[in-house]
Amino acid sequence: MQAMPKLLGDSWQSLRVWRVWLFLGVQDIKARFRRSAIGPLWILLNMSLFVVGAGVLYGVMINQPMKILLPYLVAGFTLWGFIVSSLTESGWAFVNAEGYIKQFCYPKQIYLMRTLVSSTIILLITLPAIIPVQLFFRTFSIVGWLLALPGLLLLLLAVLGHITVCAYLGVRFRDLPHAANGILQVAFFVTPIMYPARLLQERHLAWIYQLNPFYYLLEVARHPILQGTLAAPETYAGAVLYILLVWLLAGLVAKSLDSRVVILL
Amino acid sequence: MRDIYLRLRGVGMTFEGQTGVDDGLKAWLTRRFIKDPAKPQRYRVEALKDINLDINQGERVGLMGLNGAGKSTLLKVMAGIYPPTAGGVERRGHICPMFEFATGFEMNQSGWDNIRVRGLLLGMSPKEVESKLPEIAEFTELGEFLSYPVRTYSTGMFIRLAFAVSTSINPEILLLDEVMGAGDIRFAEKAKKRMFEFMEQGKILVFSSHNADLLATFCKRTIWLDKGRVVADGPTAEVTEMYRSMAAQ
Repeated sequence: MQAMPKLLGDSWQSLRVWRVWLFLGVQDIKARFRRSAIGPLWILLNMSLFVVGAGVLYGVMINQPMKILLPYLVAGFTLWGFIVSSLTESGWAFVNAEGYIKQFCYPKQIYLMRTLVSSTIILLITLPAIIPVQLFFRTFSIVGWLLALPGLLLLLLAVLGHITVCAYLGVRFRDLPHAANGILQVAFFVTPIMYPARLLQERHLAWIYQLNPFYYLLEVARHPILQGTLAAPETYAGAVLYILLVWLLAGLVAKSLDSRVVILL
Repeated sequence: MRDIYLRLRGVGMTFEGQTGVDDGLKAWLTRRFIKDPAKPQRYRVEALKDINLDINQGERVGLMGLNGAGKSTLLKVMAGIYPPTAGGVERRGHICPMFEFATGFEMNQSGWDNIRVRGLLLGMSPKEVESKLPEIAEFTELGEFLSYPVRTYSTGMFIRLAFAVSTSINPEILLLDEVMGAGDIRFAEKAKKRMFEFMEQGKILVFSSHNADLLATFCKRTIWLDKGRVVADGPTAEVTEMYRSMAAQ
């Protein structure tokens, strides 16, 4: 059987039943916080503690004014969380849906979209945490947030590609999420999240972020939010190039594993 | 009205894999880069071989055969859950599969939300689900338990919930895999009645059963599968007779 036309047909049908995956994704979030009184605020609380702690410490260490550093940390941290979950938790997207995949006929791509929905909701809860910080330091700019939209859209596309790759591979290699977690911990330190990219530049280590695809994904959204202007064209180009590569990989992985998913589960 | 049909042409289904090895990334990398003298054991099961079937609108077809003959696999191929490894399946009409009642729940969500999820996955629109909610809830007789997370449910309660949702839809092509006998005696009686009504509604019905009387009640046509092949395909009385005489040997 031709794998590619089936894959495209299935994906198209999945998009058309958006109500199903939207509902599943929203339910996942609701269920996750059902038994806690402050619900999703937990994520915010955790992050604020971390950012304030790290911000004060780092601010002194690398001699950065809080006014710049704190919004930078919050933005970097929330966006990074979004990327990480797309590469780790999504490895269970199909595995967790085993009971559904084996008894209902909807194409399994709906479980990829469900994962995208729930992690996007988390992002939408945490991202606005930048606003009070920006208001406090009087650096808030509505224009910047609007200019961040194309970047956020790119990020969304990249994340969907990640989810696809990881969900399929996660069925074949059940320990993938753990492996990915380890690698991402290293990636966290070599990506300008806790420190500005300029710091690497000054030490002639610019290649560390220039060769790091995550840097471009972060910057296309982070730069406009913080600076109020679009990111540099080459940043967008880097992000787009990376997305194309991820989607190419996603297509190859999906093509070779699509018919085996239900058997491997 | 459009025609509803199921067509299988030269369908084969082979399961391949390896036994006794760790399936993780670590194991794979080790095998890949360090030549492992202990080769993993491969297995190959031909669950279906060269199946050709035409099932047209209005037909009710029974599937019989010993355990492991390929009945469930055939139903899953018809449903599109298993992609066949040979041949092709053409289907026109909305498929309603009823294979399992004990899996596919969101354990931390309430009975109500699980009804919604199952309804959507079976192809109902959100509006339809909401309008059928009271009727489904009543049939399950789960009462206030519906507000509890389903991880507190017993097996019987899972079955009631899943059964009630599955039988509340309007099926075009209904595929059933030995799903009779749901729940306790009282519920089983009620379920049987509802099931029969439900089976009457299907424009195409394919169901597997070991119960010859049930097959005789519902199906003019019965297919006997053995070792993944169609042994006989014809009027129910004849096929069950052949099956019986084989089993008697």
